[in-house]
Amino acid sequence: MDLFLNRVFDGLSNGATYALIALALVMIFKATTLINFAQGEFAMIGAFIVLVLATERGVPMWIAVILAMIIAGLGAAGIERTLIRPFDPADHLPLVIITLGLFLAINAIAGIVWRFDPRRFPELFPSGNALTIGSATLTWYTVGVVCTTLITASLLTLLLNKTKIGLAFRAVSSNLESSELVGVRVGPTLQFGWAIAAAVGALGAAVFVANPVLQLEPTIMIRVLIFAVSAAALGGLDSLWGAIIGGVAIGMVQSIVVPYTPIPNELALATAVIVLLLVLIFKPAGLLGTAAVERV
Amino acid sequence: MSEDTTQNPTPAQAVLHVADLKGGYGQIQVLHGLDFYVNDGEIVVILGANGAGKTTTLRAISGMIATSGTVDLRGESIQGSKAPDIVRKGVAHVPQGRGTLNELSVEDNLRVGAFIRKDNEVDADMERWFDVYPVLRERRNQRAGSLSGGEQQMLAVSRALMSRPDLLLLDEPSLGLAPLIVKDLFDRFAEINKETGMTMLVVEQNAQLALAIADRGYVIESGEIAFDGPAAELLSDDKIRKSYLGV
Amino acid sequence: MANTPRFTIVEGSPQQLAYKWVGIALFSLFLLLIAFAYNDTGSLTLLGNDYTISTPRLTKAIAFIICILGLQVVAGFTGQLSLGQGFFFGTGAYLSAWLVADHNWSWFATLLVVVPACFVLGMIVGIPALRIKGLYLALVTLGLAAIFPSLVQLEGLKPYTNGAGGKQVSSDLKAPDWLPLDGIAAIFQKIPLLGQYFGDGDLSSKESDRVWIFFLMVVLAVICFKLVSNLVNSRPGRALRAIRDNETSAAVTGMNLSLYKTLSFGLASALGGVGGIVYVAELGIASPGDFTQLISIYFIVGLVVGGVGTLSGAVIGGLVITFVPDWASSTQELPVVPERWLSGPTGPLIMGVLLIVLTFVLPGGVVAGTRKLKAKIVRIVPRTPDGDIAEIVDVDELLGDDAENELAAPSV
Ligand SMILES: Nc1ncnc2c1ncn2[C@@H]1O[C@H](COP(=O)(O)OP(=O)(O)OP(=O)(O)O)[C@@H](O)[C@H]1O
Ligand SMILES: [Mg+2]
Repeated sequence: MDLFLNRVFDGLSNGATYALIALALVMIFKATTLINFAQGEFAMIGAFIVLVLATERGVPMWIAVILAMIIAGLGAAGIERTLIRPFDPADHLPLVIITLGLFLAINAIAGIVWRFDPRRFPELFPSGNALTIGSATLTWYTVGVVCTTLITASLLTLLLNKTKIGLAFRAVSSNLESSELVGVRVGPTLQFGWAIAAAVGALGAAVFVANPVLQLEPTIMIRVLIFAVSAAALGGLDSLWGAIIGGVAIGMVQSIVVPYTPIPNELALATAVIVLLLVLIFKPAGLLGTAAVERV
Repeated sequence: MSEDTTQNPTPAQAVLHVADLKGGYGQIQVLHGLDFYVNDGEIVVILGANGAGKTTTLRAISGMIATSGTVDLRGESIQGSKAPDIVRKGVAHVPQGRGTLNELSVEDNLRVGAFIRKDNEVDADMERWFDVYPVLRERRNQRAGSLSGGEQQMLAVSRALMSRPDLLLLDEPSLGLAPLIVKDLFDRFAEINKETGMTMLVVEQNAQLALAIADRGYVIESGEIAFDGPAAELLSDDKIRKSYLGV
Repeated sequence: MANTPRFTIVEGSPQQLAYKWVGIALFSLFLLLIAFAYNDTGSLTLLGNDYTISTPRLTKAIAFIICILGLQVVAGFTGQLSLGQGFFFGTGAYLSAWLVADHNWSWFATLLVVVPACFVLGMIVGIPALRIKGLYLALVTLGLAAIFPSLVQLEGLKPYTNGAGGKQVSSDLKAPDWLPLDGIAAIFQKIPLLGQYFGDGDLSSKESDRVWIFFLMVVLAVICFKLVSNLVNSRPGRALRAIRDNETSAAVTGMNLSLYKTLSFGLASALGGVGGIVYVAELGIASPGDFTQLISIYFIVGLVVGGVGTLSGAVIGGLVITFVPDWASSTQELPVVPERWLSGPTGPLIMGVLLIVLTFVLPGGVVAGTRKLKAKIVRIVPRTPDGDIAEIVDVDELLGDDAENELAAPSV
């Protein structure tokens, strides 16, 4: 039982970080039905910025995180303006190719600048246990990650539902032409989406590598991206809270289902892909998705 | 093509003045040089067969397609401007097929209609349109995509009016609506026009109804103006009665 | 077609046949020269760096070319991207290595297992993903590509895959004695001025085997291209392309679109498997690190470089993804560029930048660019029954794929 609880807690902390990256994917998918395959790499750069600011400049951790989110957001806004906006948003092929190019290039640049040796990431949440039940322990890290994710999702929901730019973003997501006809400037609105997505992604990577058992290196987010993609698809690809539910579900599958079944540990990633396949077969719109899924 | 300049004010005084307007989609040219105008406070109707280029004309005015020629709004050129800028100059466009923002609530559809406004009377305006169309108030929190076709049309018109436009472009507002609702809708347009003096350019298949509330009308054939004249004249013209009124 | 070409040749005329055969002959001669010249790991020194072209590397390029040909099929027939070609590439490589090393199969016999196996695997993945419009195929296949290395390192599969160490296999592909490879080498060595580039004396047995494998794989690749190009021009192939971008008409014509799409994805996966056989035949080892998602994305680079939907583009794409990363890592010193940069992952960096830049400047890929150029020089015009010159088509002779073969660039 205690072991089971421990696994639930593990699933929660992993799932909550997948959820953050899934949130970032969903922000862009909502508006453009595009998946940014470089989202994980944007996030990884964000985590490195936190590391540099905190360890080399002595910036307090959470301020470093906020600065990194801002920098990642600005960077993504610049990338949107120069590499994404010139293309027809309805034609996915060139855009997907651009994001794959970004994936390769950003990962390589990180490898050149920071090399591939793993680095310790400073603590973001207090160490130690918040709660001990028998031999099961709920760490402050898990509490911190879950709270961060819930707060981020709530703030995003507020941003989208209560602000003017949020309204514009939802309008563009819903109907591009009608948005233009009421005066919404589509380009800057999508740029806003890219910036928010990158900021949320950077936060996701930072809390992910703040896990005391992990270290930061340039390839760390590649696996996470796969988990996040499954999480986003499970949640419905265009639903913020769907991404949260999907993320936690994928985290739970990884840490509960895998140990209790003959599935070898190394195949945790494969379970994410299988979940993705099952979603496509049985519920292509996902749990909370609203987008009409067109069958061919 | 004849322009009756003796009876009407000069183009310079017009809210909308269009001359030699050409445009289309990619390589396909649809508009082959249109000339028309809409005076302050007028309701002007554009008639024409399917595929004549009526929708394209409205899209050309509101900056949704590339054009050449003259499009002046109150003497200021808007030709070549982008749609969001043209909205800010006071043009609202209800597109053919309503353009409902399906995933947004009814209320948000109206709010987004007021996107360009910075004043604090948006809520008051919204209540005003809720008074006109109470069914929208009942469904204010419902997804707009779940409204019926007629309700969506009411929403589309209200959404456009939320921007407090100077010139309202309406593309086939009667499409798919029951005759009774269409009648009511057109009465509403006439009422708004009389009360606020809002200028309207209406594309319509239901020529009878549209001409009944209009001051003047144009008939487009294959991207060119084929006839024009006061509404009453068009209504009694034999050729037009045959081709567009079906009587 | 604004420019008049310098030469116009009527299809079916003796000139056209001559043009075709001269083309094929020149291409074969070119392959021969390349195989013999670079057999002895020919290398080029530029700015203090050594850049090698060798027959083994060219064989590796053939493996990549066949994989990219598969991606052309997916993109051309389904309008979607597969980010998981590496999965099938790896499956083919491991299956083949296992059959040869542990069961003493001959290399070519492994085709009989690999092709159907990859075909079925591809269908299984393609069925759910291709039924839905959008990027779902890309998502699913990216996942597949990512799990492949951990899959082959599973404890349960170690007896067959040898885990992290990689599955080693020695080649049974030996140059037959009747082949006068030494004689050919001797002829090349006697060419005035250039003779020195063809080595000295007889080939060692290792060198002969390399040349032999290279030519075997060239033949295999040509067969793959021929099959695909015939398929593209077949009735269902044409129909599929015609309705690809207008899927509602598929229902009208009564075609089972998703079945055809899934079949074409299966075919593409089978080609990935064939690529894997070629790869391991040359390298002699299948190791997990060679089949990460990086290789899948490199295949996309190859697809884009040659031109999406252009069969012959696969050749250029395969060469680029073989040599550019290799040469990037052989570049140890360059003026201006700091050494720290050169010792990092410059290959992936160049590939990433290449993807982005090409999407901007040459969306049709290299082949579309050269084809335009070529149309200015020679044009083949088909002959109508009464002998009149009909519409003008330009032809890409070497691989036997003409303009009509091409899977025009799709839109998702
Ligand atoms: N997006 C487009 N791309 C290419 N051609 C178009 C496009 N939209 C319209 N057309 C063409 O332009 C012409 C005029 O179309 P338009 O929509 O303006 O007609 P309309 O007068 O509004 O007709 P209707 O009464 O049916 O709405 C038609 O021939 C149509 O096929
Ligand atoms: Mg129309």
